[in-house]
Formats: sequence, C-alpha cells, structure tokens
Amino acid sequence: MTIRDLLRNAFSNLRRRKLRSFLTIFAVVIGAALVSLLVSLGVGAQEFLTAQIRATMPPDVLMVGSNPNAFQIGFGAMGFGGSPEEITDDEGSPYSLAPLTPQEIESVRALEHVERVDPYIMVSADSVRLQNSEKRFRTQLTALPDYLITSKELVAGRYLNDDSQGECIIANQYLESFNFDRAEDALGQEVVIQVGQITSFIGLPTKTKDYTFEIVGVAEKTLSSTQIMISIEDGKEIARFWANEPELYTDEVPPAILQVKVEDSQYADQVAEAVEDLDLGALTSADVLGLVGDIFTIIQAVLSVFGLIALGVASLGIINTLIMAIYERTREIGVMKAVGASQGTVRRLFTTEGAAIGFLGGVIGVAIGYGLGFIINQVSHSTFLADFETFNISVFPWWLIVGVIALSTLIALLAALYPAHRASRLDPIEALRYE
Amino acid sequence: MIELRNVWRLYRMGDETINALAGIDLEISQGEFISIVGPSGSGKSTLLNIIGGLDSPTTGTVVVDGQNLSKASDRELSLYRNKKVGFVFQTFNLQPTYTALENVALPLVFAKVPLRKRNEIARDTLETVELAERLGHTPGQLSGGERQRVAIARALVNDPRILLADEPTGNLDSRTSELIVELLQRLSKERGITMLLVTHEMMIAEHANRVIHMLDGQIARSTERK
Repeated sequence: MTIRDLLRNAFSNLRRRKLRSFLTIFAVVIGAALVSLLVSLGVGAQEFLTAQIRATMPPDVLMVGSNPNAFQIGFGAMGFGGSPEEITDDEGSPYSLAPLTPQEIESVRALEHVERVDPYIMVSADSVRLQNSEKRFRTQLTALPDYLITSKELVAGRYLNDDSQGECIIANQYLESFNFDRAEDALGQEVVIQVGQITSFIGLPTKTKDYTFEIVGVAEKTLSSTQIMISIEDGKEIARFWANEPELYTDEVPPAILQVKVEDSQYADQVAEAVEDLDLGALTSADVLGLVGDIFTIIQAVLSVFGLIALGVASLGIINTLIMAIYERTREIGVMKAVGASQGTVRRLFTTEGAAIGFLGGVIGVAIGYGLGFIINQVSHSTFLADFETFNISVFPWWLIVGVIALSTLIALLAALYPAHRASRLDPIEALRYE
Repeated sequence: MIELRNVWRLYRMGDETINALAGIDLEISQGEFISIVGPSGSGKSTLLNIIGGLDSPTTGTVVVDGQNLSKASDRELSLYRNKKVGFVFQTFNLQPTYTALENVALPLVFAKVPLRKRNEIARDTLETVELAERLGHTPGQLSGGERQRVAIARALVNDPRILLADEPTGNLDSRTSELIVELLQRLSKERGITMLLVTHEMMIAEHANRVIHMLDGQIARSTERK
C-alpha cells in the first residue's frame, strides 16, 4: 500500500466518525496548544533578555580581569549544582580583583586581532537633576568607549566621541522625569550629577561633588531606564573622586578590568583563550548568552511538562479510539487481509490513522497557541508593556511550530502502536465471520 | 496447478480436538470448475481457506502454481492472496461506505496501483459483470445479486488464476443464484480461471466439471461430469 493511500484511508476513516475523531483530536489540540504557548513565552523572555545583553555587551567585545576566575559564571560558581571549588593560596577570593599590571595590559593589547583596549570604568552617582531644578532623581552613570555608545539607538541628538567633555546621553525615561514633551527639547539642557565619595564612613557626612553635563543625545527606550552615558575621559575623572584615588586608571593604579574590542566577533573566543593563557580572566558575550540559554532551556523544559502531560492523556484517548475502531472494522480488516493486506499493511493503516490524529491535533493546537500568544502580545502592548513595542512576550520561531506538530504526531503514532499490533494479528477467517 | 498432500487441519475447542480436515489428497488442474458439497462442518470452507492462503494446514503440504503455501510467511501469503486468488463470500463482505468502484479497486490498493489506473481497471472489471452503470452506488443501494456481482468483480480485478467462492448464492433467490453461477461458469471458461465453489445446493453444484463430496473432513466421493 502506498503512503498516499495510507493517508487517504486514514483521513477518510477520521471523516467517517466525525464526533469521535473531533473529541480525540481535541485532546491533542489542548496539549499542543499548551506546549507551544508556554514554550513561546519562554522564547519571548529569552529573546528579550538576549537583546538586552547584546546591547550592553556586543559579540566583538570581551571583558578581561586580573584574576583567572574573575568571570566564572555558571551554576557551580553561584553555589548550586557542583561541589564547592577549592581555593588555592595565590588566587585569593575568586571575587576580589587586584589591579592589572601595566605589563599585563600591554600584553593584552599586543594580542593578535585585538583592536583596542579600554579600562572598564566603574563609577557611581548619587543623583541627577536639571541645572535649574531642585528635583533629584536616581541615576546609573556609565562611562563607555565611543564604539559602545554608537551601538545604542538614539531618538534625538548625537553620539559622544572619546574626546567629549561635559556631554552626556540620557535614558529615554528621563524625558518624563524632567518634563520634556519631545526628546528634542532635552537637547542642550544641562544636568547636574552629584557623586558621593565611596570611602565615607557611615554616620559621617559624605563628601560630595557636583559635575555638570550638557545633554547631547536621548537614547531609545530600553530596560536601562536610569542610565546616563558619558565619555571614558569624564568617567575616569569622576571615578578618581568617587574612589578617592587620584592615580586611578594610570600606570600607578591600573584598572582591574579591561574592555577589549576585537577586529571581528569571530575572533572573540580565540582572543579569550589567548587572554586565559596569560593567566587572566576573560568573559565573552557568548559566555553570558550561553548561561542565559542554559537557564531558559530549563525553564522551557519545566513549562512544557504541563503540555506534555496533556499530550500523554490525549494519547490514552487515541489508544481507546483506535481499539474501538478495531471492533468496528473487524470485518473490514478481514476483507482487507483476504484481498492481500499483510500484517504489516494493517499495522501501517492504524499507525497512520493515529499519526493523522496527532498531526491534525498538532496543527490546530499550534494555531490556537499562536492565536493566544498574539492576543497576549496585543493586550500586553496596550497595558504593562506599552513602553516596549518591539518586545513580544510570546514568540513562535519556526522550530517551535514544526517541533510541536512533529511531537504530537510522534506521540500519537506511538499511542497507535498497540492497537495497530492488535489489528494486524486478527485472524482473517474469524474476522470475516465477525458480526 | 493445485496439489494437496495428506492435509490435516485440527482445531482445539476447549478440551476437544476437531479434525476440520483429516488427510485430504487433491489435485486440481488449471481451468477446472469444481463444486464442493457436503453437510455443514464437513470441512468445505476450511479446504477453501487453505487453498486461498487464509488458513494454514496443521500438517501436510499445499502447493499452488509451484508455490508451497504450507511454508509461506505472512508476507508471501498476503502477496499470494493479492495476485493469485480471488475470494467471493456468502455475505458479500463489501465495505458499506465504499462505492462499488472503490470496493472493486480495493485489492489494487494493496498491489500499489495508482488511483487513476486502478479506477480504470475496476471500471473495466465492473463492465465484465455488467454493472458499469452502478459504479458510484454504495452496497446499500444495490440488490443482492448486484452486490454479489460487485464482489465477483473485486475477486477478478487482480486477474487471479483461482477464484474461491464460499456459498456465493447462499443469500440469493434461485433465479439470481442461477445468473451468478452462470457468470462464474462463463468467467472460468473465457479466462481459464480455476473455480472452486462451495455450496450445499445440488442445482448449483451441477454446473461444475467435478463435484467433490465432503464428509467429516474427508473427501467421500468425487464425481466427474462432462
């Protein structure tokens, strides 16, 4: 019997018992819709987080730390999963970082495919306010090399370059805080950023200093809602006050962490290995994304369990339907055998019918899951996610659609194996006499 | 053509063992028209089923066209049933949801003949049983005689060497029965098909060249007629 005829027979049998076929398929639909919708939510969250990580850490940039364990990430380092790691004397605490030596910085700079090396500037500010206003807001001050600043999208204004002094780019959310109707209105305005010294003792008055910046750009809306970006040189100056160390980021007190840009993202792993050969720590965006991927794989697996349980229950329905069909079609099976159907052919007839139930259920289920996901996206965009038009909670990549349909078909086919075996073993003479 | 040597077929029914066939020796040549008669339980149907490859002998050998059926696998037997034999049953055994054309084409489905080709063959075959104008009807819309003619067309559609008919007129009135047997007789003569006809009506049996009388699983007597 050809595959075409097997399919024709399977679908015409499903049409013969419409209500029963519908109910059996419906159970598969629920399972497939659940699996696809839940996984699509996981995919959406992962895509969103991945995009955020990419924005702060492009694939052609890596972080270099003075300690080989500086960037150990993963479940082992977080303290769950693997056994506690041994600390050898010369390494100290894995999370404390001594400054790099100028020689180490030079040898990183000298590595093949390294384009430029910048210190990773750590700064912190207490508050930000408009020049002629007393309203102060929280802020996250970030000093970045110009290639990282230009990787962000602006809604107004221009980027900074490395020589910029006293210029900043503000997060989109500040427009509302500062009462600007349009992003263009913010350009040219001045903000005052107050920095408190880190070495202040609790209870004693904090030494603070005000820095004035002109707003030259407004960033697109992202999760970094309080970010103010300034140039590396301005950052160095603020960091020196903040840390109360006038020699910070000079050869006297070199940085502990470097931002290394490579010529192309394809060299990132290669450079990371070379850095580790220098007995330093390296972190690429692939490392971070890998960890995020691991976490989401687990989340998606847990979410899909609910759908898989539903599919498992649906497979019982398929077994029941097909066993009923054997009783109904006993004579028919007898005739088929008499005119030349082998045991294998009868088995294939029933497994194809089961697979057809799974396939139809999978297709309808994914369509319903997709529809629900679409509704969730619409509702979320008009309510709590109004600020993130590009972010969809429910995302259906092609592999999810194909995968869920294939999975339902496979589970249904497996459920059909036992009924198919029983049907194939019917004695044709008994079957032909069956009333 | 067909050769049975010391064929036994035993059934177990509770504690009892029933000898459905008890040492059958039989030779049938190509194109013979044979009637098998005898009381119920005499083993007529079992003999037919064994020759048709639906049942296997407990002991003994069955050779058809050089093929030893007693040693054949399920695959070989299903191929044999598909290509070499056609079955006609007392209760017609047509698929009620299929049209006459689809019923006739069923054996071709298992022979992997493509749809267009098998509809063509099935239409031609329905013509030989004079039912060309009823091919779109389902069995429920046909009379008993018409149904049996559809069943005969189904048995013929693969151009078999042997046609096995188990009480084909059992559910038909005498006039229709006569027409059906005449049809079988004509097919046997025109196409050289070996015909085995199980019946308990002597009127029907007398159309054959040879009448085999069975009793208690054995051939009691065999009469040749010309």
